[in-house]
Amino acid sequence: MTSVCFYFQVHQPMRLNKFTVFSENVPYFDDYRNRKYFERIARKCYLPTNRTLLDLISNIGKEFRIAFSLTGVFVEQCKKYSPEVIESFKQLADTGNVEFLSETYYHSLAALFSVEEFKKQIKLHKAMIKDLFNQRPKVFRNTEAMYSNEIAKIIESIGYKGIITEGHESFLSWRSPNYLYTPRDCEKIVALLRNYKLSDDIGFRFSARWWEEYPLTADKYSSWLSACEGSCVNIFIDYETFGEHQWGDTGIFEFLKVLPYEILKYKNLDFKTPSQLIKSYKSVGVIDVPYILSWADIQRDTSAWLENDMQRLAFEQMAKLENLVKKNRKLLHIWRLLQTSDHFYYMCTKWFADGDVHKYFNPYDSPYDAFINYMNILQDIKRRLAAK
Amino acid sequence: MRILILGWEFPPAKTGGLGTHCYELVKNLGKKGIKVLLFIPKRSENAKHDLENVEIVEVGSAISNPYNATDPTTFEKGYGWNFFDEVREFNKKCIALALQRKFDVIHCHDWITFSAGVELKNRMGKPLVVTIHSTEYDRTANIYPMKFIVDIEKNGIEEANKVITVSKHMKKQLIERYGADERKITVIYNGIDYTKFFGVTNKQHRNIVLFLGRLTNQKGPYFFLHTAKKVLEKKSDVLFVVGGQGEKLPELIREAINLGITDNVVFTGYLSEDELTRAYEMADVYVMPSVAEPFGITALEAIASGTPVIVSKTAGVAEKIRHCFKVDFWDTHEMANKIICVLRYHVLGECMRRNSYGELKDFGWDRVADQTIDVYRRV
Repeated sequence: MTSVCFYFQVHQPMRLNKFTVFSENVPYFDDYRNRKYFERIARKCYLPTNRTLLDLISNIGKEFRIAFSLTGVFVEQCKKYSPEVIESFKQLADTGNVEFLSETYYHSLAALFSVEEFKKQIKLHKAMIKDLFNQRPKVFRNTEAMYSNEIAKIIESIGYKGIITEGHESFLSWRSPNYLYTPRDCEKIVALLRNYKLSDDIGFRFSARWWEEYPLTADKYSSWLSACEGSCVNIFIDYETFGEHQWGDTGIFEFLKVLPYEILKYKNLDFKTPSQLIKSYKSVGVIDVPYILSWADIQRDTSAWLENDMQRLAFEQMAKLENLVKKNRKLLHIWRLLQTSDHFYYMCTKWFADGDVHKYFNPYDSPYDAFINYMNILQDIKRRLAAK
Repeated sequence: MRILILGWEFPPAKTGGLGTHCYELVKNLGKKGIKVLLFIPKRSENAKHDLENVEIVEVGSAISNPYNATDPTTFEKGYGWNFFDEVREFNKKCIALALQRKFDVIHCHDWITFSAGVELKNRMGKPLVVTIHSTEYDRTANIYPMKFIVDIEKNGIEEANKVITVSKHMKKQLIERYGADERKITVIYNGIDYTKFFGVTNKQHRNIVLFLGRLTNQKGPYFFLHTAKKVLEKKSDVLFVVGGQGEKLPELIREAINLGITDNVVFTGYLSEDELTRAYEMADVYVMPSVAEPFGITALEAIASGTPVIVSKTAGVAEKIRHCFKVDFWDTHEMANKIICVLRYHVLGECMRRNSYGELKDFGWDRVADQTIDVYRRV
């Protein structure tokens, strides 16, 4: 038996307001733009996709299971701009077929600069999930699936049973991502690896006319899943794939509506959530990742966020404020919102190769504008901290 | 193939991108085996005559160049009338000379030579290609464009078999303002010989902000001074260099005095080629706040000198260069914001100048010549 595990990442950053060296008393976050984007994505993606999944669960029952990870930054905006989206996630939770995963509340890069801050944000997120859905997450996924031996160790130490990351050849070598593995020097935690080929078939290639498999149909895709060897196939994708990255007219919703039925036609396939995988299967080996891995771009590293000197400087300057800002309740939340990975993503200059993905709802004309705006806000925060 | 090119500027006599364009174009056409017959006005300095397959004929007597003047009293409604007589004379002589020569295509650059181009086309039955580097509306920044020049431009564009523009923005202008037929317009961006500049050297960070160009309304020097005023309110140790000469120099000096920023502004006047390349290299940031900028070759020159650039959004060069700041020319507030940040965070300028330098490889004159030959073939 091979278990198909679907997990959807749900996140929207809080985009920053235009902030110049002359700005005073200007709000840091662009409420107008954030609302506009959120309402649009709610209409095109969140609401119709949640509806589709609810229908599937009520028709198929216990045999169909999925998982989500919702960031705190997403939930905050959801409550403010489209509370009906939160309600529909609660309905999904109420079915009992949906697992919610753990991550940093702020979709941040905290793991890269402060263990204390990293743990704090996980805790905040955990409390939010408990509060919204009455679930205690057992499986952790870090921002952009960032992972290393060290990160796995931290996650194990705070009681998690599983951690999600990319199933990449760089550390797997000849081994398949379709098994559970044990992070190096860990005992109580297993790693769930994304099958990036089958995930990207939906996430990136679904509507790609240059692709020899175009058009992708649910029965074709199910036959690929059925042919997979291993205990599990992990399909981890951005939720915005449905209706936003892949627009409604590509047929993505029709695909989703029939996919579970097509998968269940195969006797060797079933659906499991990440926690169920951990209960059902055993680790087959150890993975050793002594560097930071991620699921982004071709390089699968942190270069989309922390490659050029602008990104490094902005990150460094932000991180430096940790001790000072922790004494200031009002600025603490703002400072954490500035840790959201997207702000650094917008400063990425290698956009000629992987350009399209980087441009998605990017509010800036250039990475240089993104840098300036971020630094001006950081400067203003510094000024306020010094004034205290 | 033999091409007759009617030009106006040619090194060492030049006031802007047009002269550089003509020189590099004929040089690279010649290299590719195209025979070029170039007619240019006879000026006090002799033109360079060292290019293979290029025959240069200097026509007529020395001519004044109104676009370069610093003394506004020589101007009457923007130009001296004397200048128009000379233009007429130049065109007449070009026609007389050209009638005795053999060539396949006539290629004119800007309105000054259009009347000769059109007449030769009709009398000799040869196809006409015109390149528009700037229009009368651009040069006057929309302040009192002279109707008869607009008419010459319009007529040239209508008569031409093919029209070349240096940007998409210019193409759009020709369609909207001159009623040009979209199908005959080809966009060919200007090029740069970046080996003439210093490249990405170590910056000394002297806090120098550079403006370079003809001091006319078109280039937006007033916006530069007002931006300087705003920068200086936040940061006092910055030097603003206004390079170049032009009719507005006296007024600009007065404006700097009125703004109270004379301690931080330097007007250089005329700069030699050598001084130019050094100025580009010394600056921490180059600003091009042009009101109208069909292409903006100086931005490429700054990039070739390893200097980050802030350019007007509508400049042709902004259509192609991605690693730069793009601003509205009137938005002095935003320009000041960007200048301060470039001076404050050196990593910003470093990233920008290294990446933009890499973009120059798309701007070879070799490519300009190939695309131009392609246009000749199609007529």
